[in-house]
Amino acid sequence: MSHCADICLALIFLSVLLGMAANRLMELVKIMAFQGTIVSILPVLLEAGQRDAAGLGFMAVMLTVKGLVMPLALYAAIKKVANLREVEPFVGYRASIFSALALVLAAGFIDRTLAPFMPPTHVMLMPASIATIGAGFFLMMARRKAITQVIGYLMLENGIYLTGIALAGETHSQRLLEFGVLLDLLAGVMIMGIIINRINQTFDDVDTGMLGSLRD
Amino acid sequence: METFFLAISFIIAAGVLPFLFLRSSRLMRGSAVIMTAAGGLTGLLFAARAMTTATPPAATFLLPGGLRVLMQVDAVSAFFLLPIFLVAPVAALYSFHYTRAQGPRAAAGYLFFSLLTAAMAAVVCAADITGFIIAWELMSISSFFLVIHDFGKKESRRAGYIYLLFAQAGAMVIFATFALAYGKSGSLDFASFATMPAQARILVFVLAFIGFGSKAGIIPLHTWLPHAHPAAESHVSALMSGVMIKMGIYGMVRFYAILRPPGPGCAMLLILTGAVTGVLGVVLALGQHDLKRLLAYHSVENIGIIVLGLGIGMLGAATGHPLMALLGFAGGLLHVLNHALFKSLLFMGAGSVQRGAATLNIEQLGGLMKRMPLSGTCFLAGSLAICGLPPFNGFVSEFLVYSGGFQGVANSEAQMFTALAAVISLAVIGGLAVACFTKVVGVVFLGEPRSEKAKIAPPAGRCMQAAMVLLAVACLGIGLGAPWFIALARRAAGPLLATPTPMPAPLDTAAYAIALAAAGFLLLLAILAAGRGLLAHGRPAESATWGCGFSSPTPRMQYTGSSFAAEIVGFYRPFVIIRRDFSGIHGLFPPLSSFRSHTIDLVELGIRRWLARSVMALTGKIRWLQHGHIQLYIAYIFFAMLGLLLWLMV
Repeated sequence: MSHCADICLALIFLSVLLGMAANRLMELVKIMAFQGTIVSILPVLLEAGQRDAAGLGFMAVMLTVKGLVMPLALYAAIKKVANLREVEPFVGYRASIFSALALVLAAGFIDRTLAPFMPPTHVMLMPASIATIGAGFFLMMARRKAITQVIGYLMLENGIYLTGIALAGETHSQRLLEFGVLLDLLAGVMIMGIIINRINQTFDDVDTGMLGSLRD
Repeated sequence: METFFLAISFIIAAGVLPFLFLRSSRLMRGSAVIMTAAGGLTGLLFAARAMTTATPPAATFLLPGGLRVLMQVDAVSAFFLLPIFLVAPVAALYSFHYTRAQGPRAAAGYLFFSLLTAAMAAVVCAADITGFIIAWELMSISSFFLVIHDFGKKESRRAGYIYLLFAQAGAMVIFATFALAYGKSGSLDFASFATMPAQARILVFVLAFIGFGSKAGIIPLHTWLPHAHPAAESHVSALMSGVMIKMGIYGMVRFYAILRPPGPGCAMLLILTGAVTGVLGVVLALGQHDLKRLLAYHSVENIGIIVLGLGIGMLGAATGHPLMALLGFAGGLLHVLNHALFKSLLFMGAGSVQRGAATLNIEQLGGLMKRMPLSGTCFLAGSLAICGLPPFNGFVSEFLVYSGGFQGVANSEAQMFTALAAVISLAVIGGLAVACFTKVVGVVFLGEPRSEKAKIAPPAGRCMQAAMVLLAVACLGIGLGAPWFIALARRAAGPLLATPTPMPAPLDTAAYAIALAAAGFLLLLAILAAGRGLLAHGRPAESATWGCGFSSPTPRMQYTGSSFAAEIVGFYRPFVIIRRDFSGIHGLFPPLSSFRSHTIDLVELGIRRWLARSVMALTGKIRWLQHGHIQLYIAYIFFAMLGLLLWLMV
């Protein structure tokens, strides 16, 4: 089982790198679906994982939300707004990949410094979660379109979910955390959806750069 | 204490019930008035009992989150409850006809009105930091919503903004006071602040004086008053100016009672501030054209008188003259009650004028005594009271403050100069106030109407008149019952004095003499009026007045309020700027020309020109931080978090 978990974590790192390097929105959505799936099944594969009916049921719910519902919603949103193809970066793709590598390094460093204060957990879990959080922030900061901000937010949430797994020895408290985050996410995505809609209506585009003209 | 909570429940109900009767305006307003009246009466009963019992009633309860709130009602608190529970029901009664045309939106007004009343009562009773802060903020915020009741108007929003700014800036200083006191004493209870070292106590008192001064409206922290009062509805102005600004005074009194800062320094600070506030307040009032703005500046003036009284009391206490202390404190406290009564009366009178003549501009009014005789008479009574003339209540309290000042002049060589300055500024304030109200009553109520609307102004609604008559009678009652009310104020001043001080016999007889003279004066007036009615039966003779040789005089030729005040205001020109716009008269057949003058509040100008502009210039430099790019805003959050994380790790 431990090997499977390791493979999953490696895939998460891969999704982080791919996500930051992606230049097409559809590609990014697929990566999100992939990441969501991996992140959802990871808790069951860990050694301390809960593999009874409750644990599996929870996994199923997560899988549906992260791996299916959210990506489909994003897919629908992108389809709805016609001229959405490229992610339109502020930071170039090469620089993005470079930042992704730097981020993985930084995650390792932060994990090492934090390790003494943390409950013992799977080796690469903490760096993976920190890298995912960082990648979420990166997508929010370095991409122009409002929809990439939603994607960044979702990735951030994946990272928080991983951190939750790492921090919680007790699975119940982790679930509590996760439900709280999900609620947060729902609100966040809804607000972002409304904002995207509004920006689109007002400026005939979803470029958040246009919002700069609204400041007083 | 149960009685107190019952009163508060009644008053909260007065705010909630109107929402159940949104359909019927009459039922809505009626329910609010009746519940406020019930709350007021219950509260008065409680306050009267709390004044007379030896052990102050107290209550403790826990808030969610484990915060403990302590409430205690000593004589000072009970005394401050009197104006709250007196003015709130009368103001509510006044509002019954005043808010007639508002429709369902009046319910929101009643909600915040009741919240404000309840919050003020809680402020007065709070005995620890937690309860006090909650009540204080509730009071500030509910009154803010009352100020912006007419939020459709730009001036109202601006007034609300200015008010919020001053209220919260003051609250910030109060919080700093509490933080300092908590840091030094290690306890949230007010009572334990007394154990702090002397230096800390002085510092805390000065900070508290500034913070509470912003609410009370001492100069230079008064600039919100002349904006907020014209914007608010009249019964709200009555409650805010009559009672709410006294919460600032309460704060000063409470902190003095706890801290007793040693030395005469704090007392001199209060006397100086009081004198400046009083004199400048009344001078600025003289220059106003807007009736409510004028009254707002008079509130500033009266706060000055109260602060002077407190300062004299503190000076007496600091220099070991218990009688001076007693007179100063009792005078200041009694003036709190008196001002609450006559200022709310005057604001209600202004409201009647506004409802009747559709304007508050003094220069467009005139002759209203004929159109609204009862409102006019009540306004006149309030004017006499605020000028400190017998037989009304203002005289009684100012007499006490004067006596305190003269005690200082006579007995304390070291502080003679300060006491003398206080007495002289009191005299100046009194004289100017008389001039100012001569102007108001003369221009607004006498003479001929200066506008079409003023010509046809209907008398105020019945409830509005009833409220004003009640207050006028109360003003007269305190003047007639001077000995009893002086005794009341002495009891309230008890916790402020180090040792119980008896009233010396000459002053006691003076109190009775005041009451007797007032009664005699009234009797004489009644006899004269009756005699005039008997002798000069029938109509008075009508004839033209001397019209300065003009063949066809018009109402516009009357003396205006500005011209009446111009000479006096001109004398104080260094402190009050008069700005005149005169188009001039050119040629033998001059075309239409115009003249306009208005006074400028030097402090307000200073705040706007120096403080606000420099802050704006400074903040303008970091304005590029706000650029409108979401990505960079997220970057701010990210790097802030990262920074914090790194800071924790290092």
